[in-house]
Amino acid sequence: MSALIRVSLSLAKREFTRFIRQPQRVIGTVAQPLLFWLFLGAGFAGSFRPAGMEGVSYLEYFYPGVMLMMMLFASIFSSITIIEDRDAGFLQGVLVAPVSRLAIVLGKVLGCTSIAMVQTLIFTIAAPFLGLNLGFGSLVMLLMGFVLTGVGFSALGFLLAWGMKSTSAFHAVMMVFLMPLWMLSGALFPLGNVPQAMKLVMLANPVSHALIIIRAPFYYGPQVLLADPHYLTSLAVTIAWAVLCLGLSMARVNKRERGVAAA
Amino acid sequence: MITIDDLTHIYPGSRKVPARTAISGLSLGVREGEFVILSGPNGSGKSTLFRILCGLALPSLGRVSIAGFDLFAQPAKVREIMGVVFQSPAVDKHLSVAENLAIHGDLYGLSGAEYRSRREEALSWTDLADRLDQQVSTLSGGLARQVELAKVLMTNPKVLLLDEPTTGLDPVSRRNFLDALHRLQKARGMTVLMTSHVFAEADDVDRVAIMREGKLLAYDSPKALKAMIGTEMVVLQAKDTEGLAARLRAEMGLAVRCIGDEVRLEETENGESLPLLEKILDRYRPEVLSISIKQPGLDDVFVHVTSRAVPDHALAIDLKRTGS
Repeated sequence: MSALIRVSLSLAKREFTRFIRQPQRVIGTVAQPLLFWLFLGAGFAGSFRPAGMEGVSYLEYFYPGVMLMMMLFASIFSSITIIEDRDAGFLQGVLVAPVSRLAIVLGKVLGCTSIAMVQTLIFTIAAPFLGLNLGFGSLVMLLMGFVLTGVGFSALGFLLAWGMKSTSAFHAVMMVFLMPLWMLSGALFPLGNVPQAMKLVMLANPVSHALIIIRAPFYYGPQVLLADPHYLTSLAVTIAWAVLCLGLSMARVNKRERGVAAA
Repeated sequence: MITIDDLTHIYPGSRKVPARTAISGLSLGVREGEFVILSGPNGSGKSTLFRILCGLALPSLGRVSIAGFDLFAQPAKVREIMGVVFQSPAVDKHLSVAENLAIHGDLYGLSGAEYRSRREEALSWTDLADRLDQQVSTLSGGLARQVELAKVLMTNPKVLLLDEPTTGLDPVSRRNFLDALHRLQKARGMTVLMTSHVFAEADDVDRVAIMREGKLLAYDSPKALKAMIGTEMVVLQAKDTEGLAARLRAEMGLAVRCIGDEVRLEETENGESLPLLEKILDRYRPEVLSISIKQPGLDDVFVHVTSRAVPDHALAIDLKRTGS
């Protein structure tokens, strides 16, 4: 167990070190969602009047949605580095080392999650300007939401990237797959009056549940949240999603290419 | 120490590409403390064999045991005692030398005082002492290779696998790398299996294995391999290679072979070469561009062995002696 943690943290630290040595990457990943938020927020401000949400500006509504986007995209697009690791040769050295295959997955996943967290936390500085004041308990809940989302989606990125040969294919797949999930999560607009079929999609969408556990701490304290079946369901789904993606990734790493029986 | 038993690897085909046999029925043994070079032309199955040996791929058939452990059933046990140097460097170029060594230490469970003393020992033979904080990407090719070897040796492997480790190094760096490798191998009694194309590297190893088309063609000491093609040979370059070879065969009854643009007369007894050379010059002078007497080297053995059709029962040399 201690070996698992030591190896995971060592690999995660490497991931993080590489990230902060590329200032362009840091600036780009923080600036892009920020611009997205400001421009969309300004554009939709006038027309945003959903029922039952009076007094909520679009900038405020969209704020947790952008945080979710940052966690999602930063963690998934950081896990793309597994393709570079393989091409550059670093990965083979790790694979032949006497380490648990789970540690190889966790190293990448924790590294990517921490990268995504840094970006998202910088963005959290904007909260007070929106009149959102986080108590200590809520902040802890929010951070937990970030970590769980980061772990689940970095592991998804890992799983998808593992078998891919190029980073460009990864980008294409992610855009087609991830963008719709994020848009249908309620991050961009409330899904209050959507048709029943859409509600089902939403319910099955792990991104919607991640949004709930990120948005809720801005409005409620831990006592309220932990007693709310809605929140608890989303929390359980997000945890289950993370465990599922980690497990599948580990199985993928464990699977060695095998020769066939006959030509 | 390494026992490969009747190994076969077939790559799965697809609709467009038929399945391909990379290794077929290969058996080979490496004894403890032995230094073996594995060689063969491109596409001979070396790389596939290497991937299987370091546990990255599973074969279609056959068994491999390393230090008594079944590689396929107990890969974790084997990983603990094995060090691997890949052809493409397995270091992170964006990290410093020290950071790379630290990660490697973490992967192999080295920490504290043990890690520091091992690191010191591993660095003692390198030229890296004052470059620990430099990023690997800023090092020369030779130094980057030293990082690789230092890193792998830090964990005291019993078995060391190297895949064409000197590719891309200049002759001096290559020599330095190999000298260090030989010295450390002897000092530590490591078992070393290294793939290589460069036969200058093979003269001072214990045994050389030559593969082609997934089969073992020859496996013996460099001395015995050289003895295979006679003690001397006469090498000719002619205006018309095939034509001259045919005439030599027909008119002088010589068993010559054409290899590339050379005509070779390989199995010549010592002392016979010079008279033979004179005789050939007497008769075919206008045809001949150059002629020389050559002591066979391992590259000649390689050409000799790999350029003929693969026989069903390999060569006349003793393949039974492959057990470890």
